[in-house]
Amino acid sequence: MKILVPIKRVPDPATTIRVLPDGSGIATDNIKWVINPFDEIALEEALRIKERQGAGDVVLVSIGQQSWQEQLRTGLAMGADRAILVKAEQPVDTFAVARILAKIVADEKPELVIIGKQAIDDDSNQVGQILAELLGWPQATFASKIEIADGRCTVIREADGGLETVAFTLPAVITTDLRLNEPRYASLPGIMKARKKPLKEIAVDTLGLDLHPRVKIKAMKAPQKRQAGRKLSSVQELVQALHTEAKVI
Amino acid sequence: MISFELSDEQKMVRDTVAGFAGNEVRPAARASDETGVIPFELLSKAWDLGLVRGCLPENVGGYGDPRIAVTGAIVAEELAYGDLSFAVHALAPRLLAFPVLEMGTEEQQHRCLSPLAGDQFVAATAALMEPYFDFDPVEMRTTVLRSGGDYVITGVKCCVPLAMESETLLTYVSASTKDGLSPVEAFLVPRNAEGVRISEREKHMGLKAVATYEVLFEHCRVTSENRLGGERGINFARLLSESRVAMSAMAVGVARAAFEYARDYAKERKAFGVPIATKQAIAFMLADMAIEIDAMRLLTWEAASWLDKGLDALKESSQARNYAASAALTVADNAVQVLGGHGYIREHPVEMWLRNARLFGVIEGVAIV
Repeated sequence: MKILVPIKRVPDPATTIRVLPDGSGIATDNIKWVINPFDEIALEEALRIKERQGAGDVVLVSIGQQSWQEQLRTGLAMGADRAILVKAEQPVDTFAVARILAKIVADEKPELVIIGKQAIDDDSNQVGQILAELLGWPQATFASKIEIADGRCTVIREADGGLETVAFTLPAVITTDLRLNEPRYASLPGIMKARKKPLKEIAVDTLGLDLHPRVKIKAMKAPQKRQAGRKLSSVQELVQALHTEAKVI
Repeated sequence: MISFELSDEQKMVRDTVAGFAGNEVRPAARASDETGVIPFELLSKAWDLGLVRGCLPENVGGYGDPRIAVTGAIVAEELAYGDLSFAVHALAPRLLAFPVLEMGTEEQQHRCLSPLAGDQFVAATAALMEPYFDFDPVEMRTTVLRSGGDYVITGVKCCVPLAMESETLLTYVSASTKDGLSPVEAFLVPRNAEGVRISEREKHMGLKAVATYEVLFEHCRVTSENRLGGERGINFARLLSESRVAMSAMAVGVARAAFEYARDYAKERKAFGVPIATKQAIAFMLADMAIEIDAMRLLTWEAASWLDKGLDALKESSQARNYAASAALTVADNAVQVLGGHGYIREHPVEMWLRNARLFGVIEGVAIV
């Protein structure tokens, strides 16, 4: 089965993020870049499906600058078969990303798209849903378990109130939640092999898509520093503080 | 031209091994130190990274990756950053694999490397150190004599890691030119060969999770196909250089672990209302530690890059090891000092790293880089 796994390059979750003084974005010097952790889970799941079925083709796609190929190479080292880099110098919003992916899907014709439920940088949680809508495919978001048999797919998804099981026929779009799996480490031989795997580059303007941004980032600012809590000596004092200071009761 | 820029593959190797060492190895280090056992699942996971199998030739079941000493140094540093005991245990099979890979005959490669090319961790080891205060790797007291078509080994080795579970002990011995041998030779001795006696597990100050043993060779007779390299013998200087690069790289890893822990502690810990890192007495100490670590690494990489060029690196690797041995101890000691009283108690790992760092001044490992 052919599975398409879109991945996004994001700052390492362990990195301390600083907002630029003019609020135009974040300081990118000294940032370590990684595959978005949810997308890594998506890739792991695609690899496991391929391994269970004994055959298949796991194709990575990423949309960004030339340097994003580092994350694609990491994905290839983990075991993906080939990668596509859609080169875009300007940032693209979620709707544009979904449209680009829809075009890639039309060209590649995968039976399944697995993608992280959201990227840990802007936390939009939109691309998978918009993509499914553009393709007219079934979607299962926040997957914590995926089973595939005879062209049918059963997904257990983490809904607000508990777990929900959905079933549908392929092709489909699935977005992954944290508990779906634990991604593997790339092996040393995998890293050496990754260099020889195909990585195709496509310039975004050759796709002939309307990508003008629907979302504009006006300014970024760091959240206000939280003040340290304080210990109160009695319940009475607490009620008093909630009433007069916090004004919640 | 001199370049300190790692290749894309080397960066990826570093990030992968660092991720594994940080997320999996480090959290298990204290328990391993206390119990003397490294969890087998963890060794299996490390095995899956292809640390040993990757470099083995394809005709014995490996992946045939090029063996690069600088990359080996990166791997050794990152694993030791996680836990020195784990690094030594996980890489011990290289003690046999790499010398055989580099200098063994075709038959020896098939015989010794095929068992290391499977999906599960397989122990393998080498015996170099001897229990004498004047131990010198080029004048060892374990000797070999030709006897008919065979060889007879006599002597005592110590600090042999995983000896009890390894099928083959690659044993380094002194030989006589009268027998037509080089001053140092190596033999593939089956652990259950007659005349091999393995003692009780040794008890260490540090490196507590690695089982090491004293091994006695009493007129142990081995056949000629067990002479590493056959009639060619071995290039012992090169193996020694590789070993020293590996030990230096591990020393960098231990020192970096201690430094980073102390630095982060100093930024958090407050005295007189300010983080202690803002006090010059601490800040200068941390700065010196950082400089030492970079110096250790540069010497290590220099020696490794000579090896990668196929050149002699005995001087460079010896300098790297000597420097790393004392610098790692100083850095780990300073880390304990930065933590003060907390540094001395087992709640924090720095006392363990100080014990582990002491190893580098006393051990003469063999090639695992």
